[in-house]
Amino acid sequence: MAGPAASGKGDRPDLLTAAIFVGFGVIGLWQTRVLDGGTLAQMGPGYLPRVVCGLLILLGLVIGIAAMRRDAAPIEPIKLRPLLVITLSIVGFAFAVTHLGFVIASMFLILAGSLADPGSNWRTTLLLAAGLTAFGAIVFVYGLGVQVPLWPQ
Amino acid sequence: MDFINLLMLGFGEAITPANLSFCLLGALLGTLIGVLPGIGPTATIAVLLPITFFLPPLAGIIMLAGIYYGAQYGGSTTAILVNLPGEASAVVTTLDGYQMARQGRAGAALAVAALGSFFAGTVATFAIAIAGPMLSQFALSFGPAEYVALMLFGLLAATILASGPVLKAIGMILIGLLLGMVGTDQATGAERLTFGAVELFDGIDFIVIAIGLFGFSEIITNLERSGSAGVTVAPLTRLWPTREDFRQSWAAVLRGTGLGTMLGLLPGGGATLASFSAYSLEKKVSKNPQKFGTGVVEGVAAPEAANNAAAQSSFIPLLTLGIPSNNMMAMMLSAFMIHGITPGPSVLTNQPEIFWGLVASMWIGNLLLVVINLPMIGLWVRLLTVPYRLLYPAILLFCCIGVYSMNNRIFDVVLAAGFGLLGYVFRKANCEPGPLLLGFVLGPLLEANLRRTLLITQGDPGIFVERPISLVMLIATVALLALMIFPAFRKKREEAFQEEEA
Repeated sequence: MAGPAASGKGDRPDLLTAAIFVGFGVIGLWQTRVLDGGTLAQMGPGYLPRVVCGLLILLGLVIGIAAMRRDAAPIEPIKLRPLLVITLSIVGFAFAVTHLGFVIASMFLILAGSLADPGSNWRTTLLLAAGLTAFGAIVFVYGLGVQVPLWPQ
Repeated sequence: MDFINLLMLGFGEAITPANLSFCLLGALLGTLIGVLPGIGPTATIAVLLPITFFLPPLAGIIMLAGIYYGAQYGGSTTAILVNLPGEASAVVTTLDGYQMARQGRAGAALAVAALGSFFAGTVATFAIAIAGPMLSQFALSFGPAEYVALMLFGLLAATILASGPVLKAIGMILIGLLLGMVGTDQATGAERLTFGAVELFDGIDFIVIAIGLFGFSEIITNLERSGSAGVTVAPLTRLWPTREDFRQSWAAVLRGTGLGTMLGLLPGGGATLASFSAYSLEKKVSKNPQKFGTGVVEGVAAPEAANNAAAQSSFIPLLTLGIPSNNMMAMMLSAFMIHGITPGPSVLTNQPEIFWGLVASMWIGNLLLVVINLPMIGLWVRLLTVPYRLLYPAILLFCCIGVYSMNNRIFDVVLAAGFGLLGYVFRKANCEPGPLLLGFVLGPLLEANLRRTLLITQGDPGIFVERPISLVMLIATVALLALMIFPAFRKKREEAFQEEEA
């Protein structure tokens, strides 16, 4: 993703930035390809998105070329555990809260989310999950009236 | 001028037990949801909107307004204590506020934020009362060309704030603009950038992006960096600002209040733009701008005063012209509409008790907020001693409920998780996501006004330099751009952010 870089050259975080900008620009252009651009006086839905995407690609290229010529700089190491655990428990919560109700979803989110941290112990986590679920049910479901069933229906 | 009489009428309305208790309820709720990351005033007000139908008009509006400005107080608390802006307007507060907390000055930062906000709230309330009716005349002279120029200026000014290179910040704004275009095009009704997903036809919610980029990805990076050790808790030696803190911050509070009150007036401005601009103004007038980002008290005082002032003065366009300036004011507009009141000049003449009652309740609400916030600072500070492994599941839960409660859709939560991943990638690329939010908020307004301008002139962009207000703002924009390209200034700016990135 960071593109080719000779050893000793290439600022990796900046190359990643370039890839993000160009990527957004290209996806945007691809998504708006069927839209009418219109004229300056009568802008169509595609006019401004294309301008923005064009600028993004241009900016990405400028940053990318500059980064290639700079000395090598590494990207911070990536730890997969928190990344995957947190993301998956959020997605799990979304499905659980709709189909199984708030209590199960909240317990799942906190118990699963706690796996992101290797140092947690089960007793504290269980207590925390129970406490937060009760708090959430009282404040959000009863207090603020969030339209969520508490239990599976 | 019988403005004193009108103000007395307002206080008479606001001081009735019912209205007073709804004011207190709103302020309390606002502080609570401002402190809780992940559930912002927009979501809360959306949830409470149907309830106000059962209240008298003024009581309901007073409560909703209280939530809005109360959240400005509360939002700063999490910004300072856990580097997590409870609200978009508190994003810049994290820069210096969190640094102050890490140096054991969390109490001082919180107190300065609360007192600055109270002062700003008081001034802004009187600004609405005195200048509201008059200033509406000035805003009336703004055409779409002026708005375009103003928004370009605002967006560019924000790039100075982002840590890291200006080019990256501009890129983040562009991505924000692009994300703001997702959904149904306002002018033509065409679907844009939706990937065919029906859920995206109404656009992406601000909350989804904010919680994803700041809430979720922050949790992930925090866990990655420190594991179970959690946020480093600096020793808290002093909970009250020193005399030195007061001396350094009073001028910043004054400037922030002035700037915030002005920027709150402008559509698209509001609390977020105000806090960003106040921070960059402070940095410019400061004798040692390189210290910003390392825990400077002015860096907390100015944006906090500004966002509170702007939160209140942003009611002016709504109350006097009937035009909501941001999505929060759009919520307030619908709260009025529920009771069959159309905000605008007619309310000022036909139902003065609504306008003046609301104005008076804002000042009372600000007083209540200081009473709620200052004694409880000790309580917020105690939150810092809670290890992160106990804190992050709570943040995670509030974020998830907050996103889900907007539309009760799985899609929103999954999308927010996606933005969490995106935010994680941004962090790995050393890109600061703050400007993205600004681009996202201003994008639709910018496009609408640009279209309107060029439709009027039949495609002639010359209007931007022919209208004096627009010309002044464009010159300021170009000057800003020139400053940033100017090597000496760039070097100084890089120095200013060096500490923060370390």
